[in-house]
Amino acid sequence: MTQQAKNRLSPQPGELIDREKNITFSFDGKTYQAYPGDTIASALAAAGVKVFSRSFKYHRPRGLMCCAGQCPNCLVQVADEPNVRACTRQVEANMNVNSQNAWPSLKRDLMSLTSLGDRFLPVGFYYKAFIRPKFLWPFFERILRRAAGLGKVSSETGLGRYDKQYLHADVAVVGGGPAGMSAAVTAAEKGARVILFDENPRLGGHLRYGLSSMEAPLSELLDAVNQSSNLTVYPNTMVQGWYEDNWLSAANGSRLYKVRAGSVIVATGAYEQPLLFDNNDLPGVMLGSGAQRLINLYGVAPGQRAIIVTANQDGWLTAANLQAADIEVVAVIDERPEIKDSLIQQVIADGAAVLWKHTIISAEGPGKVSRALITELDGDGKINSQAKYDIHCDLIVISVGWAPASGLLYQANGSIAFDHERSEFLPQSLPAGIFAAGRVSGSHNISVQIEEGRSAGLQATAFLGISEPLTEAERVGLNAQHVEEPRRTSELVYVPGKKKQFLCFCEDVTKKDLDTSIAEGYDSIELLKRYSTISMGPCQGKMCSQNTIHLCARANNRTVEETGTTTARPPMSPVPLGVMAGQNMEPVRLSSVDDWHRARGAKMMVAGLWMRPEHYGDPLAEVKAVRQRVGLIDVSTLGKLRLVGSGVPDLLDRIYVNKWQKLEVGRVRYGLMCNDEGIILDDGVTARIAEKEWYMTTTSSGATGIYEWIQWWLQSGWGEGVQLTDITEINAAFNLAGPEARSLLQELTEADVSNEAFPYMHARDLTLAGVPCRLFRIGFTGELSYEIHCPSGYGRHLWEAIMMAGEPFGISPFGLEAQRILRLEKAHIIVGQDTDALSDPIAADMAWSVKLDKEDFLGQRSLKRITEEGPQQRLVGFKVKNGVPVPEEGLQIVQDGNENRLDIIGWVTSSRRSPTLDEGIGLCWLPVDLAEQEGATFTIFREGVLIEAQVHHGPFYDPDGERLKL
Amino acid sequence: MSLKLIRQGLKGDRSPPRMWRQQPLKEHYDVVIIGGGAHGLACAYYLAKDHGITDVAILDKSYIGSGGSGRNTTIIRSNYLTPEGVQFYDESVKLFEQMADELDFNVMFSQRGHLTLAHTDGAVRTMRRRAEVNKLQGVDSRLIWPEEIKRLCPYIDISQHPRYPILAALYHPPGGVIRHDAVVWGYAHQADSRGIHIHQLTEVTGINVEAGRVTGVETTKGTIKTGIVLNATAGWCTTIADMVPVKLPVTTFPLQACVTEALKPFLDVIIVSGSLHVYVSQSDRGELVMGAAVDPFASYSMRGSLAFTEGIAGHILELFPSLHQVRVLRQWAGLCDMTPDYSPIMGVTPVEGFLVDVGWGTYGFKATPVSGKRMAELISTGRTPDILKPFRLSRFYENDLVGEKGAASVGH
Amino acid sequence: MIHIDCPNCGPRNVQEFRYGGEYNPRPPEPMAVMAEEWTDYIFMQNNEQGLQKEWWYHRAGCQLWFLAERHTKTNEISRTYYWDNTKNKTD
Repeated sequence: MTQQAKNRLSPQPGELIDREKNITFSFDGKTYQAYPGDTIASALAAAGVKVFSRSFKYHRPRGLMCCAGQCPNCLVQVADEPNVRACTRQVEANMNVNSQNAWPSLKRDLMSLTSLGDRFLPVGFYYKAFIRPKFLWPFFERILRRAAGLGKVSSETGLGRYDKQYLHADVAVVGGGPAGMSAAVTAAEKGARVILFDENPRLGGHLRYGLSSMEAPLSELLDAVNQSSNLTVYPNTMVQGWYEDNWLSAANGSRLYKVRAGSVIVATGAYEQPLLFDNNDLPGVMLGSGAQRLINLYGVAPGQRAIIVTANQDGWLTAANLQAADIEVVAVIDERPEIKDSLIQQVIADGAAVLWKHTIISAEGPGKVSRALITELDGDGKINSQAKYDIHCDLIVISVGWAPASGLLYQANGSIAFDHERSEFLPQSLPAGIFAAGRVSGSHNISVQIEEGRSAGLQATAFLGISEPLTEAERVGLNAQHVEEPRRTSELVYVPGKKKQFLCFCEDVTKKDLDTSIAEGYDSIELLKRYSTISMGPCQGKMCSQNTIHLCARANNRTVEETGTTTARPPMSPVPLGVMAGQNMEPVRLSSVDDWHRARGAKMMVAGLWMRPEHYGDPLAEVKAVRQRVGLIDVSTLGKLRLVGSGVPDLLDRIYVNKWQKLEVGRVRYGLMCNDEGIILDDGVTARIAEKEWYMTTTSSGATGIYEWIQWWLQSGWGEGVQLTDITEINAAFNLAGPEARSLLQELTEADVSNEAFPYMHARDLTLAGVPCRLFRIGFTGELSYEIHCPSGYGRHLWEAIMMAGEPFGISPFGLEAQRILRLEKAHIIVGQDTDALSDPIAADMAWSVKLDKEDFLGQRSLKRITEEGPQQRLVGFKVKNGVPVPEEGLQIVQDGNENRLDIIGWVTSSRRSPTLDEGIGLCWLPVDLAEQEGATFTIFREGVLIEAQVHHGPFYDPDGERLKL
Repeated sequence: MSLKLIRQGLKGDRSPPRMWRQQPLKEHYDVVIIGGGAHGLACAYYLAKDHGITDVAILDKSYIGSGGSGRNTTIIRSNYLTPEGVQFYDESVKLFEQMADELDFNVMFSQRGHLTLAHTDGAVRTMRRRAEVNKLQGVDSRLIWPEEIKRLCPYIDISQHPRYPILAALYHPPGGVIRHDAVVWGYAHQADSRGIHIHQLTEVTGINVEAGRVTGVETTKGTIKTGIVLNATAGWCTTIADMVPVKLPVTTFPLQACVTEALKPFLDVIIVSGSLHVYVSQSDRGELVMGAAVDPFASYSMRGSLAFTEGIAGHILELFPSLHQVRVLRQWAGLCDMTPDYSPIMGVTPVEGFLVDVGWGTYGFKATPVSGKRMAELISTGRTPDILKPFRLSRFYENDLVGEKGAASVGH
Repeated sequence: MIHIDCPNCGPRNVQEFRYGGEYNPRPPEPMAVMAEEWTDYIFMQNNEQGLQKEWWYHRAGCQLWFLAERHTKTNEISRTYYWDNTKNKTD
């Protein structure tokens, strides 16, 4: 059955709903009607729903309060989306809305029983409870944990679709109320490119939800906005953060805008503030602006019999607004001494009683507002704790003041201080290029807001050098107007009573909790916040920070100024992770032969940013092919650097630990790089292609870092006579390895590739299968092999040509796994696997490559010391006996220690079963004295069992390297 | 439910006792601790409790726990890479386990298990290495595979990602989270009740040294004479050391974190991914608490960046794609003092009486009780306890760095 | 400091750049310095709380290594400039 919309008013002049169409949706299983344009909350309120949620700690029923997405009272679950603000989310047909944090139902929530024991649950009670016995804490924690949290997530939720857009503006205006619109129009008039952001679907701010008498200024401003040619409006878009150099983030639905602005005008308005009195959270207690939003934007009556509790003109405006909507205003309770003006007279004439110098002391239920208890303030503003009036009503409207929405100003490092005259926290000074206008800077009068907006627009364009700066006269005139405004915000904040008076609605923190916290010593605003959790919930202090500062000051007998403020951090309102993340932008790098590998069934693996074939099905067969016939591996991921110039030999001598001056043209040499700490950075081979041209390769993972490292040295003093170009992606690279490699190569070229014409450790430029190639005769695998570099565009062609020509030779492609086995059989290290961020070449058993007798090179000073002092640990090969499991990489080497403990003395960095030798081999770190004894035995700890291993020096396979030179 | 609470409840409104008092600044203290964070307060507590040294002042330029102690993501673990690291943090975890009882304040230590994901074969190797080192030191750690990961953490996506496949994880059951502020307050309370003076809003402006010895401290509230000064600051440790002066191998980087709105519990374990530079846990309040690696450049600014939130949101969704509708509530930043070997600096300096407990990078909070206890021992006995020796300042001059840098770049 | 003014390319988003650490000139003759001085060079940091002279690299742009003066508390960059190639590396 569909619930009737009994609270729907007759059409209101500025409403956002389309009464021509009907949609239905469900809330807690019941079906409700709504009009397009309704929010979830407005449609439910129209149907008479009063309770929207249960509170965080005491599970008290909560109803609509702000109707602006600021307070936590209407958080609901929409299908699998948790914590949706029902008052700002537009209804969609068939939406499945459910209440949160209530069991078994919103109406009867058993967890509300926690209220009964609340005297035993003071603020921070969990710090004082469940301490002993210790073993029971996990049990209590589970109970606490289950009670916490609001909405639910589902692991079934599918992927979201999100995107991001960059925007650029001379002036970004945040907030589309009168001040913001005026600022935007003014800046645009002066020729600035302006963007105006507003969180609401339509511009207007309080002009739109306020009384219909405000239509005139609104339509004028809207016309001006529409006629402005270089002004773009982004509705439904909340600016979430200000970051350095006027970099803004703004969210609209599933899109994140990233905005670069020359100047920013903050016209974000203010949050109307609750008053603390007994049961001030009872459904039916609403903020004046909230009641007005319901009436004017959605044509919904917030109640039938209202009282207004106020301290300013806004309460009287709300009263008039209710009356205009034919809602009975029983009384207006104003804490001020009597004031006479035409608005007030009109409200009284329309039937409202008025009580000057009175305020509310309690809202009475049960469950929702049915009565209000009113008391008197004496001449000093002291409150009589005895109720003087008991008024029947179903709506209590609170309009006692505002907290400027200064979040963005705080983020921008603006200085914000308490203004006693205005009783608000207002900007004192703002960083260059940031301006504030409207309620956020304390202006509540519409004409002042518009004028202040205009001024901000002028100041922003002047800041950008687009227009003349404001004259002194203009500035003075504006300030004068500003100061003349009557105060809108009461300092009363709190009416003493006997029941719960909620300060923080998100976390159910009461006035009493605040007093207790301060008495316990949590007396600074930050400690108070952390201990009581005030302002830590969904509203992030919008409803409580200002009141907290007042009450904290009073409890400490300090002034508000001394008490200070807490800062506001992004985002301004909670933003979904999906919006922050945008599309998944995690790129992978693919070699020019990638398609071929996949078509061939390669198992691909992640290697840095690259995807590489781990193997093509049988890595051991791939090893065998290389050892016995010939194999081809894609090594396009290697870093490739081209160095040209007469200064290259000097440079290489400085950045490598070995010597380069005498390397002849056409020769290749292995090189090891260290930093000045003597730590190994990278290794690779470098060839001298011509007298002044060199070709360097780096490890795949080190490619970018090493290029930047060398650039740094080149650009800071060692660059004379050297040009460096990164050609990593320009060239593909393959390694052709195995005893048949030369015969196969000869099939593809007319050049002479015989051992005499192209010996080991030489480089040659050849044409292979019609492709210009650069070949290095080197061998990581230990076999006769050629590293072939060619332009990436020819990579696929050359690869296929080699594979085709290799068929008669029994060629096999091989992947990283086979290569690791092959190199391990040769005991070649992999930088980053066998070494880490503290390994030096002396310890890594590569002292042979370090030439301390060179002139200055990177690492020399440290390596000299390490050489003199000798390393503690050494990287060395090991073997395990046949039949013994091969110890996995990462296992620890141990010896007997004290108290039956095993002391760690080393660890395994690489290990495999060698298919060639049919035994378990590996590399490990050992104490030097042990590592130096060939054949010495040591033990590896594996799953509680000790495995015996033997130190092995040099390559396991072909120790003399004869096969490389075949 | 504790008796104390019941008594308090029955008595009604009687105001509870103060946790710590405001004391006048004396002209002399035996020991001055600069930094009212968890480390400084813990050290003060152990000075009083273990060694009977109570003439101690703790100075903080802001309120207690205002720095890293209140800004970290509260992860406690001992699954480090080096034997010296494991031994040190294992003692720390054991002290955390006793802390609520010892301080009579529920710090809500929740040992719910800590998973460090491995997305590459290299990471699997490192995780196995850590697991083995841990096991041999008696610390509960093991390598687990995707099925078990999924069982412990049903919301995680173990399908084959192109970039970040989940290959394995280092599972450390004793790892947990704690209420970080409670640790600060508990120590502060116990230190105060033993007569130690906590001076908030008291900034150190100078350190007096005569003939290579510390003689006093200048503050915004006056001069203090003392023979022992402990620098227990983070973010300001080089600034304080410069007053002596003592050189430190420290660079300060911001580290950012964020928290989401509260959700019903669905994530019991702590998930860390080194490759994705992200760690996440769900607090007892239901919020997801998430952090990243340190910022890409050194800074003392705690403003935070948009790039951080964008990045961490993307990385969390790589692991938990179904959470895209969960809302980020607040972001913040703290300062991390990084050292060349990703290990802290504790102990004596070339200036007599000037001690340091600094360079805590991203792993300071989890060392709170052990660093406090052992630094107190050093102050009391004048001898560096063995467990602190690997972390001495002089290691940088002796070419004897700690090997933690070999571990993943995210140290949570 | 979302923007960095690359001496070659002009103001660009900080994400295009790599931070290179505080300016820390290498001793001109490493083999001639004392061990302690060498350790200071490789490990010790000024970690300036204030205006810091530092290296940046325009990774996603012109690949220039350049110097910046940045206030480390506000991240405001007051100046960016080329390394002076008339000077020796060690100046």
